[in-house]
Amino acid sequence: MNKYLIISLLFSFVGFSQQDSTGYKKRVLDAAEVDLLFSYYNQDGKNAAVTGGEGTEELSDATSSIVVQLPLNEDDVLTIDAGISAYTSASSSNINPFDGDINRTASPFSASSGASRQDVLAHFNPTYQHSSDDRKSTYNVNAYIANEYDYFSLGLGAGYSRFFNEKNTEFSISGKVYLDTWNPQYPTELRDGFFDSRITGNGNYTNQFSAFEKENRNSYSLSLGLMQILSEKVQGSIFMDVVLQNGLLSTPFQRVYFGDTSDFYIQEFQLADDVERLPDSRLKIPIGARLNYFMNDLVVLRTYYRFYSDDWGLSSHTASLEIPIKISDSFTLYPNYRFYNQTAADYFYEKEGALSSYEFYTSDFDLSKYKSHQYGLGFRYRDIFTRTKLLRFGLKTVDLRFANYNRSTGLNAFIVSLGATFVVD
Amino acid sequence: MKNFILLVVLAISFTSCAVVKEYEKVYVNDEEMQLSAKNTERFETNFQIYREGASGANGGRSGGGCGCN
Repeated sequence: MNKYLIISLLFSFVGFSQQDSTGYKKRVLDAAEVDLLFSYYNQDGKNAAVTGGEGTEELSDATSSIVVQLPLNEDDVLTIDAGISAYTSASSSNINPFDGDINRTASPFSASSGASRQDVLAHFNPTYQHSSDDRKSTYNVNAYIANEYDYFSLGLGAGYSRFFNEKNTEFSISGKVYLDTWNPQYPTELRDGFFDSRITGNGNYTNQFSAFEKENRNSYSLSLGLMQILSEKVQGSIFMDVVLQNGLLSTPFQRVYFGDTSDFYIQEFQLADDVERLPDSRLKIPIGARLNYFMNDLVVLRTYYRFYSDDWGLSSHTASLEIPIKISDSFTLYPNYRFYNQTAADYFYEKEGALSSYEFYTSDFDLSKYKSHQYGLGFRYRDIFTRTKLLRFGLKTVDLRFANYNRSTGLNAFIVSLGATFVVD
Repeated sequence: MKNFILLVVLAISFTSCAVVKEYEKVYVNDEEMQLSAKNTERFETNFQIYREGASGANGGRSGGGCGCN
């Protein structure tokens, strides 16, 4: 019902604005643009949360998206962003490590070939934007729908921005609400009716698992931003989000092993004592800033810094530097580096570090203390005259980016992204 | 609260700069000077949201929309 309401509202808005256009104004967007985007991501590590902090984190993901920007009239632009992401994960395959190949020895360090090994996520994100006649104000409304096997998300947002000070200053404010729902997938040994004659250990296997009562997760965010031109060659922005989440913030298939209970195994796979338990609310406050400096016709410096803190005891610093180097009118090179560190959440424990008497616990190393380094390189080809044609589409830009991500926990990741922007003639 | 005060001080410092006229904006209007991320950077932001405890204040999602942190 909600989905249909959002889509109807969006199209009502569009219809209204089209009737409202009179006289000549420079168009906000001259012609329709289409972005075709693709990425391939691969990671590996040894601290999978699905297997309680020890086990393979191998995961591959291929994502393709299309972003279409349509000028509806002089003032209004409709953007449709849709995509599909397909992943294969050795880690999530161990939600049930005992299905698939019967000759495989169950182990947290190898993948099961069962159904939980792969999943597909699809998203649809329309945005409608209206600019005022004087081009100093912009309004937008947007919706977001995403679906994967165990998670559904419905989002709705709105934003406003305004230029001041001869367009040297821009203030922006936006809000967003996500109403998400889990379809919880629990580790197989914790499900009702589980039995396996191969269990080894002292006594009978028991656990303290009970299914989550709440299956929804709501997120409310407010974002404030301020952009300022500081000189002829320097501009920057500062921004802050306030995000409140409540509901099921634990991931239902992430195992936890306690330090004060007996261990039970099937082959080399230890059976869970419980799944992670995290508080049902979280307040996050990230504050970020960007500063860009046009050094000369060849080199630009793009810097970014963010401080983040939340009420789970996690705080972090992020800093990045990208240096676009213009090799020619058409080609630009983008070497970049990003540093990130974080403290551990109050509820993080390594495998068997938590006790069964604790209220909250997780062995998800994404919430542990660590630092990471990301090194990347990008290339951009740009043709402002769109001389290369494909049917009615003129090629405007091609972007290719590579990045390598190393985390002090041992997780390593690699990502390649490709994007092409076409202008409709 | 400390962070908020810092943000206000930064904002005031920011906006007290001399005005740059339209005809002087040739450098700040350069494509590489844009303060938003490029479309292809969204994939990097997305995996960081999954793999890191922190999110937001970068134009990407800050919470919700995925079964991530």
